[in-house]
Amino acid sequence: MKYSDAELLAVLLSREVRDGEISACGALSQIPAAGMLLAQALHAPNAELIIQNSILTPFSTTKPFHYLAQRGELGLFFVSGVQIDRYGNYNLHQIGPDPERPQMRFPGGYGGGMIYYAAHRTVVFRTEHTRRSFVETVDYISAAGSTPPDVLRRGHPSKVVTPKANFRFDKEDGVLQLDSVHPGYTLDDIRDSTGFDLGTNPVSTTPAPSVEELEVLRHVIRRKMMDTGTYAEWARKSLGDEATRAA
Amino acid sequence: MGVPYVPIVGLVGTDLLKRRDDMVIAVDPFDGKTKSVVAKALRPDVAIFHVQVADRHGNVSCGYDAEVVMLAEASKHVIITAERIVDQLTEKEATGAFIPAIQVDAVAHAPFGAHPAGFAGLYDPDRIHMREYVLASKDDAAFEAYLRKYVQNVKNHDQYVEQAVPLEWRVPPRATGS
Repeated sequence: MKYSDAELLAVLLSREVRDGEISACGALSQIPAAGMLLAQALHAPNAELIIQNSILTPFSTTKPFHYLAQRGELGLFFVSGVQIDRYGNYNLHQIGPDPERPQMRFPGGYGGGMIYYAAHRTVVFRTEHTRRSFVETVDYISAAGSTPPDVLRRGHPSKVVTPKANFRFDKEDGVLQLDSVHPGYTLDDIRDSTGFDLGTNPVSTTPAPSVEELEVLRHVIRRKMMDTGTYAEWARKSLGDEATRAA
Repeated sequence: MGVPYVPIVGLVGTDLLKRRDDMVIAVDPFDGKTKSVVAKALRPDVAIFHVQVADRHGNVSCGYDAEVVMLAEASKHVIITAERIVDQLTEKEATGAFIPAIQVDAVAHAPFGAHPAGFAGLYDPDRIHMREYVLASKDDAAFEAYLRKYVQNVKNHDQYVEQAVPLEWRVPPRATGS
């Protein structure tokens, strides 16, 4: 079955959600929101989800969410960054070699600089897999992949997911290692579009989204997001094939 | 809270930490080894924010759930601008966060006080104005012209509303007072 990048990412992110755990995403996170709902519909019926800025969050402000994460109760967090580097650092602040004179500014890290350290696992996703987004070192560290062992930290980045490949974060060495390449791409494609060494891990092919995953995403999850006002416009336009969207 | 500093989880190794002199890395005084960032308490001289309803004593119904309660508590002085002023407001009547008058120094009536941003449940962001603001912010000369037009050459809030808030938003005329 054919699928879009957004659908692929939603399916891949859904596979990271574990049953019985609390998973969360930030305020502008339609793809992880779809992924978490898909996981709950398929393999994680007892997953608890926190989708900020929607009715699918138990909290009306961010403070109790932050406290929950600080207490170590958040199993999985999804985050994105403008740049992601080999060391699992991500940048949501600014681009440019001179931090005093940024060429571009972004909204900033908000709570990520804390949640990245508090959630047991964080999956970083990025819709653009190019050498400008995947760099050796980010221009500005909004949250760090590693910290010295004596620093208070409850968890680490676990994976990076893009439309082309999955990376695994190696906690011992503090670097990302290419883990699997998505169907339709080669190792050379990944090398060409990544600005850092891919590591020495054995690399496999990512299992393609199954018919079940895609069908549930396109019908059940799309409908649920539209009905609950959870990125409803995005779900209507981005999930499903042309026939679904025309209906 | 009134405490001088608090420990926080995170921020170690970030560029944000490098640029803040009010956050440092400290050792846990109880276990003598675990390190974390401690942040100096923020104690603003003045907090100013916009709410839905306030009464003449300074009791505030924010109209939304927000961390402004903490902001009001932390600040030495609090100035409120409100969409509506009523005679008397109790915590039971409040929607969203409630701030008692004891925290508040001054209240000003400012309908459309959030413009060009939106106010939950009352009006949306003014997208046309926002676009003008974003374009103006691309260079200093354009931004100065924006400031002259909407800030420096505007006598008071009423004139700003007259000049900047779309007419159809103001009709029927909004009630003033209760």
